[in-house]
Amino acid sequence: MKKYLIKRVIYLIIVFFVVSLMMYFVYNLIPSDPALVQLEPLRKVLKPDEWQAQYLQLRAQLGLDDPLIVRYARWMGFIKDINGEFDGMLQGNFGYSLGYKRDVIDIIGAPMLNTTILNLVSTILTLLITIPLGIYCAVHAHSKSDSAIQAATVVGYSLPTYLVGILFIYLFAVLLPLFPTGGAKTPGSSYVGLHEFADRMYYMALPIIVLVFTGLAGMTRTVRAAMMDTLTQDYIRTARAKGLREKVVIYSHAWRNALLPVSTSIMGWFIAVFTGGSLVIEQTFALNGTGKLYWIGLNTTDYELVLAMQMFYTFVSLVGVLLTDISYTLVDPRVRIDK
Amino acid sequence: MENKKKEFFLTRWIRRLLFPNKELDIYAEEQMQSPFRLVVKNYFSKPMSVVALVVFIIIALFVFIAPNFVYLDLGEQDSTLVNIAPGYNMLKYPKALEQNGVQDISVGNNYSIGVDKEGNTYVWGKSKVTKIINLAELPTDVNNAQVIGVAAGADHAIAYDRRGTIYAWGSDRLNQCTLPKELQQNNLTHTFKIVKAEASNQFSGVLTNENRFFIWGNQNFVDFTYDKEQYDGHVVDFALTNNSFVLLLDSGKVVKGGEHASTTVQRIPEKAESGVVSLASTTNTVAALKEDGSIVVWGAPTKRENKVPKFDSKVVKIVGGRYHYTALLEDGSIVCWGDDKYGQTTVPDKAEKANVEALYAGSFQNYAVDKDGNILTWGLKGFPLGTDNLGRNVYSRLVNGGKMTMTIGALSVVIEIIIGVILGGIAGYFGGVVDMVVMRIAEVVSSMPFIPFAMILSAVMGTKVSIEQRMYIIMIILGVLSWPGLCRLVRAQMFSQREMEYVVAAKALGVKERKIIFSHIIPNVMSVCLVSITLAFGTAMLTESTLSYLGFGVPLPTPTWGNMLTGANNSITIQNYWWNWVFVGSIFGIACICINLIGDGLRDALDPKSNRR
Repeated sequence: MKKYLIKRVIYLIIVFFVVSLMMYFVYNLIPSDPALVQLEPLRKVLKPDEWQAQYLQLRAQLGLDDPLIVRYARWMGFIKDINGEFDGMLQGNFGYSLGYKRDVIDIIGAPMLNTTILNLVSTILTLLITIPLGIYCAVHAHSKSDSAIQAATVVGYSLPTYLVGILFIYLFAVLLPLFPTGGAKTPGSSYVGLHEFADRMYYMALPIIVLVFTGLAGMTRTVRAAMMDTLTQDYIRTARAKGLREKVVIYSHAWRNALLPVSTSIMGWFIAVFTGGSLVIEQTFALNGTGKLYWIGLNTTDYELVLAMQMFYTFVSLVGVLLTDISYTLVDPRVRIDK
Repeated sequence: MENKKKEFFLTRWIRRLLFPNKELDIYAEEQMQSPFRLVVKNYFSKPMSVVALVVFIIIALFVFIAPNFVYLDLGEQDSTLVNIAPGYNMLKYPKALEQNGVQDISVGNNYSIGVDKEGNTYVWGKSKVTKIINLAELPTDVNNAQVIGVAAGADHAIAYDRRGTIYAWGSDRLNQCTLPKELQQNNLTHTFKIVKAEASNQFSGVLTNENRFFIWGNQNFVDFTYDKEQYDGHVVDFALTNNSFVLLLDSGKVVKGGEHASTTVQRIPEKAESGVVSLASTTNTVAALKEDGSIVVWGAPTKRENKVPKFDSKVVKIVGGRYHYTALLEDGSIVCWGDDKYGQTTVPDKAEKANVEALYAGSFQNYAVDKDGNILTWGLKGFPLGTDNLGRNVYSRLVNGGKMTMTIGALSVVIEIIIGVILGGIAGYFGGVVDMVVMRIAEVVSSMPFIPFAMILSAVMGTKVSIEQRMYIIMIILGVLSWPGLCRLVRAQMFSQREMEYVVAAKALGVKERKIIFSHIIPNVMSVCLVSITLAFGTAMLTESTLSYLGFGVPLPTPTWGNMLTGANNSITIQNYWWNWVFVGSIFGIACICINLIGDGLRDALDPKSNRR
């Protein structure tokens, strides 16, 4: 078990660096020249050849002419900077946002909190609803209520999140003015304590509802399929043959095993929502979250911010993969990976 | 064996589908039924799946055939056609107007006002300017008055009665409805009468029977000054364009209005300095009708307003719309020129043959009244699905956007299949190191967060390319990022298939490995992959639309279902202009639902468990 986990962690670290290298490569496809930007004011003051010399000197100083891999290593913090210090991602320097004129690390705090709250609450709610619902559907497979729920879930997972968002804004913010149409808090308010929390929750309610609604369909289907598969297993037949009550069979024997494959998809789904889904939902509801920040960064060509965010996303998804592995080994004693 | 002609697999399938073998006894049938026919039979035994398939085929045919007939104008934009509700009622005049006889008709932005000979006023078309202001809600004074003339502007309207009272209603945010003092006084004293009224987008003008001219409205937009002392008492006609006005004096000379402004309309040509009888105007041009029946057009023509055709006889009357002129000739025929986008210069045969007495035009509409009092109309009737916030036809964008979305979805799935099947096939067949390498690559690709990565790729690669190239880039990005799922599936199938007897047989016969993989095993595996491919198509469409919605897919003005919904992303549009998102949303939603239902149906049909008897 330990050996396996260490192996996985090492492997994921390698993947992280491979992805970050790819990201850095993509980032460097953008034609940008910091040296040129720095020297632009001097262009009219100096003579052309003097300027050219200074430009080349600055380029060398900034290390812009070094090979990509060297620049990557510097950016990551593997080798010493041009100033002779280790100052990269690994040392906690996530870059400088040109759009906000601040260090990236100072900007991403509040949005990350918003996104995390949004996703955690919606995930927990989704799971609380889908697991019982999926089990119910599997147990009552092919009944009328099951067919109705199946039909509803197809609709749910076919519709894009933003469309559901628009529809829900129309239904619950315009037709029935229950919720605000967007934003993170009451404009101009300066609530404190519980009041602030309540206000924030009030503004997040509709996005959370949308996320739960779009998540419901896929998860319910996954749980149902897994549960139905489990119910055909021999040990279930044995349990029934022993004369156990149906409740015991389902809630003690079947559902724990059924949740095994589900745990993988929960994580995968959570990552997809955390990265892609929150982008869409924050855009639709004008929420200040990581997705929105990423979107703003891309639109204002604030690429250091974008790169840092991208690294963050990659990190989140890799940690997700690791957690899935761990949960799998924890939940399923059959998974023996000591080999 | 060599003589046997090879039959293409599709024709074989179709032959077997259409001409099944003769009825066999039950045991024989059990053995003879091909897996493919079984799957088809299973699939078509479920009504839900069949309905989904049919609906999807209809949608697909619609979006691929209709764009050939529905023209998409990428540069389309018109501030007067913004956010029009769906419907074809712009030319639907009330029958009562025709029965009582037309006194006057005036065309505003997407609505028209008419007055009959008994002084009743009617409004039809899209008269709702804002949520509160509806021009069809006439003030009670107007309903009670004996109205003889009307003028329709962009968001305000004017009417005047026999005694010279002027009524104005609608939006007053730019003082369009605030009459000058002298006219307000006249409304009470009735010292003079009104002969002609006209309303432009932000201002209006009237002419009195004492040949005096009054103008009011937004002074910041239009320069209202003119030589009052010299011209008052001599004005016989006037014309308002979008942002200026000209006057016709009794000497037959056209003079400019607005002393401080400089618009192209104010540069009056020499030909219009004498002998002019009447004036007409479009948005940016003015036309003068001369005594000899000829026409002079000046200003800033944008849509061939100045290309006056040759007439067979003298012109007796001329009227102007937004980008076109309509002229009535002495012999009773009608000639139109200018923009013909909405058919406003295509005179119907009926109107050609009729004895037209009166002619009214404006915006994109024309009304002609013949001797018997029948009203003939041509021009823009309305938009089937309304227009968006830039005045673009939602229907044509819906149709063409659908084609775009489906094409991108389909092609990115093709890319995905090519990569996934090749890599999965190789990995599964050879196993070992090859398998490990391929699977690690797949893992790296699938561990990259999809939408953020696609966004940055699109942002980085799509900056300096044309729209078409960007479209291909989006397809490639989608395909390249989504192959791991299919690859894993093919690989897993490969593992089970490569131990089968037919593969061993092929190997024993000395068939090349490449051929074994792609000609022997892959065709057997494809049916299982079909489900995954179907669902991948739906996902690709969803992802493309999500990317476009976020602004990193196909860029505007090229429509896709995704970026059409971007414009709907604010509460005002969601609330007031529902047609901007309801139609696109529903057709896209239905298409996605159908694809997923087809995928589910296929999965059930292919599932060996469902074939148990």
